Formats: sequence, C-alpha cells, structure tokens
Amino acid sequence: MHRSFLSQNPSVLWFVATLAVFTVIVTLLSEVTGVDMISTSFVKTLGKTLCLCLVAIAMDVVWGYCGILSLGHFAFFGIGGYAIGMWLMYARTEGIVIESLSSQPIPPTPSEISDAIGNQIFGVVGSSEFPWIWAFADSLFLQLLMVIVVPGLLALVFGWLAFRSRVTGVYLSILTQAMTLALALYLFQNDSGLRGNNGLSGLQNVPGYEDVSQATISILFFIASAFALGAGYVFFAWIVSGKMGSVVKGIRDNEARVRFLGYHVESYKLFIFTVTAVVAGIAGALYYPQAGIINPGEVAPIASIYLAVWVAIGGRGRLYGAAIGAAFVSLLSSWFTGGGAPNINLGFYVIQWTDWWLVLLGLSFVAVTLFFPKGIGGLFDLLVRKQS
Amino acid sequence: MSMLLEVSGVSVTFDGFRAINNLSINFAKTELRAIIGPNGAGKTTFMDIVTGKTKPDEGHVIWGDKNISLLGMSESEIAMEGIGRKFQKPTVFETQTVRQNLAMALKTSRGPLAVLLHKKTIPNAVRIEAVAEQIGLSDSLTRVAGELSHGQKQWLEIGMLLAQEPRLMLVDEPAAGMTPEEREKTTDILKEAAKTRAVVVVEHDMEFVRRLDCKVTVLHEGSVLAEGSLDHVTSNQTVIDVYLGRAHA
Repeated sequence: MHRSFLSQNPSVLWFVATLAVFTVIVTLLSEVTGVDMISTSFVKTLGKTLCLCLVAIAMDVVWGYCGILSLGHFAFFGIGGYAIGMWLMYARTEGIVIESLSSQPIPPTPSEISDAIGNQIFGVVGSSEFPWIWAFADSLFLQLLMVIVVPGLLALVFGWLAFRSRVTGVYLSILTQAMTLALALYLFQNDSGLRGNNGLSGLQNVPGYEDVSQATISILFFIASAFALGAGYVFFAWIVSGKMGSVVKGIRDNEARVRFLGYHVESYKLFIFTVTAVVAGIAGALYYPQAGIINPGEVAPIASIYLAVWVAIGGRGRLYGAAIGAAFVSLLSSWFTGGGAPNINLGFYVIQWTDWWLVLLGLSFVAVTLFFPKGIGGLFDLLVRKQS
Repeated sequence: MSMLLEVSGVSVTFDGFRAINNLSINFAKTELRAIIGPNGAGKTTFMDIVTGKTKPDEGHVIWGDKNISLLGMSESEIAMEGIGRKFQKPTVFETQTVRQNLAMALKTSRGPLAVLLHKKTIPNAVRIEAVAEQIGLSDSLTRVAGELSHGQKQWLEIGMLLAQEPRLMLVDEPAAGMTPEEREKTTDILKEAAKTRAVVVVEHDMEFVRRLDCKVTVLHEGSVLAEGSLDHVTSNQTVIDVYLGRAHA
C-alpha cells in the first residue's frame, strides 16, 4: 500500500528531496556556520516563504482538488499565528516583568506580577485586564493545541453550516470572504482582547532562548518550516491519491454524480475544508515568529485572494504547482515592493514598482488564466512529454 | 408479490407547472421496464423524485421489504439503499481512469474515514474486472475516461451502476448517440442486469424499446397514460394521439 502510494506519486519524492537539499544548502550558507552568504533576514524570508508554500498546498487541496474556492483560508493561517503569538508575548513579558520586579526589596505577589504583565501587554489599548481568551497563554502546550483546535473548530462550524445548506461556487467564495473580513474587523477592535490594530509583536524573541542569537533561531525556524512543508506535502499527497483522491476529484468535477453513487458529499467537503484549515493554522504558527509581528491586517480579505492567485499561477490540481506558485510570487512580490526591482523611466513617467507591482501581478494572473490554465506547474508536463 | 418500489399519488409543481400529477407506478423486484413519453411528460422528474433530488408536494414513495419511505432521505442515503441512477448525458469522471471510476462506484463503505484508509484488495479488483468484462471495457481499465468514445462512456456509466450492485437501476436514455451495434450490446447488458434486479429504462427511441421486449409505461403530463406490452400501448388510441401522433406530425 505504502509503496504503491509513493510509486503513484513520483512528485512526492522529487519534492521532498529538493526541499531537503535546499534546506541543507541554506543552512550551510547561513550565518550560523560562519559562511554568512545568506543573511539572517533572508533566511527569515525563505522560512516564511516555506510557510506560505504550506498554506498554498492546503489551498490547492481545497480548491484545486475538491473544487471549493475558499477565499478565507488565510484567516486560519492568521489564527494559528495569533495562537502562538499569545504564548510568545505572554511568556516573554512575564520574564521581563519578573526580572524587573526582582530588584525590589519585597518579593512581588503573583497578582502583582499578573497585573504588571497585563499592563505591559494591554497598556497600548488602555487596559490591563487579561481577557478570557488569554486563559491558556501561559502554557506553550495549550497554545500549540489552540493552533490546531481553533482553526479546526472554526472551519468545522463554518463548513458544516455552509455545506449543509449546499452553498457552492461563487456564493461560498463570498461567504468565506465575509468570514475572514469579520475576523479582521473583530481583531481590529481594541476590546477584542488581542491588542486591536497593534497586533502582537516581538514574536521573533523566543522566551527561554534569550541568549541564543537571532541567526540560530531563524535557521531553526527555517528548518522547522521546511520539515512542516515536507510533512504537509506527503500528508496531502496521500489524501489526494487513492480512493479518497478519486472521490474528492469527483466532487470537484461532478458533485451530483458522486452523491448518486452514495457518497455523503457534505462530509467529504467538511473533512477537506477542516483538515486544510488546520494545516493553514500550523503554517501560520510557524510564519509569524519569523515575521516577528502579526496584526489584523494579515487576515484581511485580500490575503486569502492572494493565496488563490498563487495557486492559480503555480497551477492548481497539483501540489508542487501550488508550492512553486506561492514561493515564486511571494518572493517576487517582496523583490518588487522592497525596492529590489529598478524603476523604469519612460521619460514622461517613472514606473515605480512599489506602486505598479500589483498591476503586474494582476496582469500575470489574467494572462495565466487565459493562456496557461495549468500554471507554472504545467511546464513540468512539457518536460515529461519531451522525455517520453 | 410485494413490490420493490411503490410510487403512489405523487404530485410536484414547479412554479405553477405540474410536472408530476398524481402519479402512481410500481416496480417488481426483478423486472425490466421501459418508460416512454413525450418531452415534458415527467420522466426525468420521476427519477429525480425517486433518487431524492426533488421533493414531491404530496404522495408516497415506498421502498423495499421494510416499506420505508424514501421521502426525506438524502440522495446518498437513497443510493446506499440500493437505487442507482444513470444520467441522460453520460456523466463519468473524465479525468480519472476507467478503473478508478468503477472503484469509486463499487459497493463498499462510503464514509470518509473508511475511504481514506481504503486499501485495494484482490476481491475488489476481481469485482471491477468482472464489471469491466460485462460492459466490454476489460482492455480499457487503465485508460482515462475522457478518452473513451461516447458509447463507451455510456457503458462505463452503466458499469458504475452495476458495480454499485443496486436493487433498482434507473437508466435515462442509455442508447442516445449509439451506433446500431452498440445499441444491441446495451440491450444485452440491460436484459442481463434485469435478471437479478429491477431495471427501469427511460427512452425516446421506439426501436430500442422494442428490442428490450418488456413491459412499457407511457407517461403523459405527469401521470401514467397506459401500461402493457409495446404493441398494446402503441395500439392505444390515446397514446397515438398524444405521443406518436405528435411525434410523427
């Protein structure tokens, strides 16, 4: 069984091998080994890109394979980030507070410590009380659990309501947009308990590892992201192969037919929607400690649309296509918007890429949809065809 | 003899149009039945009601030995009860192979977890090959369904029905777009299937119905107009007026 799964999917071995080689090369060239050819900030960029690849393959499973155009999966990504960010921020502030209070002649009481932490974290939104959603923030284990449970539960409830009513197509896409918009609006409020538009910050500092350099931490997160992407790839490749893959692709191509074969289509959609949401949450939990900050803007509706654009450009319906699309477009995007690309002077007008990148992205999206519906991943078909 | 499916007094209205009007029709456990009727007679709506796609406004649909009502059951539940359906337009999963199409239809556990952990077994492979043999696609198991000819797609869909091992097969225009030889083979497949189950064929083509050589039910304006052998119903003056008369006009 296991052998047949891998032999059916040669792309899995290729992908994992390429990822492993890439990870080793980046590690060797990083600051940690002393070679220092890849800066710590670029290691972070690469690590974040791997997380985006992971959420992109989740998006590909839900859209490219199951045919559900969810435009809300970045909400789950953001929730994962918030969940881990709460622990990072709490534990780090706790350390700082205890250290600063330890110089006082009278040892501080637990409630004094708690107040001081609350003041530190929530002073920015004019509060010092811990909201109830921070109940588990002192426990890394419980917050890691939240990374999985909260996106999973939200996807389960949302999906159950939507799929049970047989909401499909563009209506479902609009509903998912509304979901992520609602989440963003909620988080923007100062009394949401998650510091409003300030978001959570300082996430690059891992409590307990204050003495470890950012170079080391960034490379560890990079390796963890690579591992998560590899594991996620194998997991999703397994799900979309075999009989489950048949049914899921069948739902995409002809939902009614699958129903008349006796499959409870709604359960399958709910399963795929929830599993991909959980993986998106995990990807977010790895992404934001590398980004250092998360704020409500991250789960704005446009983020989930970008996700769909990456998958479309990379080639939906094939997992490596989604990963390539996410890596390619997000790296290109930071190059263009980060001032890397030289501006073009037309004499009468200067094209500044920081402004025009979105136009270029939009045009390439239209071009890919019209002329290369298989996306970048479709190029591999040409390669294989030449060989045979 | 108790009936496999009893439809009694069923009516359904779409935007004021009575698609099915007090329809009553029964099927025995093993029989081959052809349903004919002009366009809009309610043939497809009848199938939609039995398979759970459309909910009737009134009436009863009673199924099986335990006399359970199919109304209020979902499409997948009804399919699991043993009612299989073939659509008018051949609907197979075009991006998947013939084997995958048949494997999906094969009567096995339908829950997501069971399907996720599903393993290919030799008995299942044997069943798939037996069905492929029946529909003449033994050599095409590894082909992608989208590459098949129109007739082969029709057979594949009938094969998927057979793989489901239903007790009632509802077959909508199986011979549409087939060559005479293909029609002959389709007739054989359906007759063979009807030996162990009920097979209901909706068809426009009189020649095909004649070849099926079975009891015929004529639908008109949502209810049964006549029932009996093909010769019997075609000699019925009302049938000639509403159906044959119009068809030849």
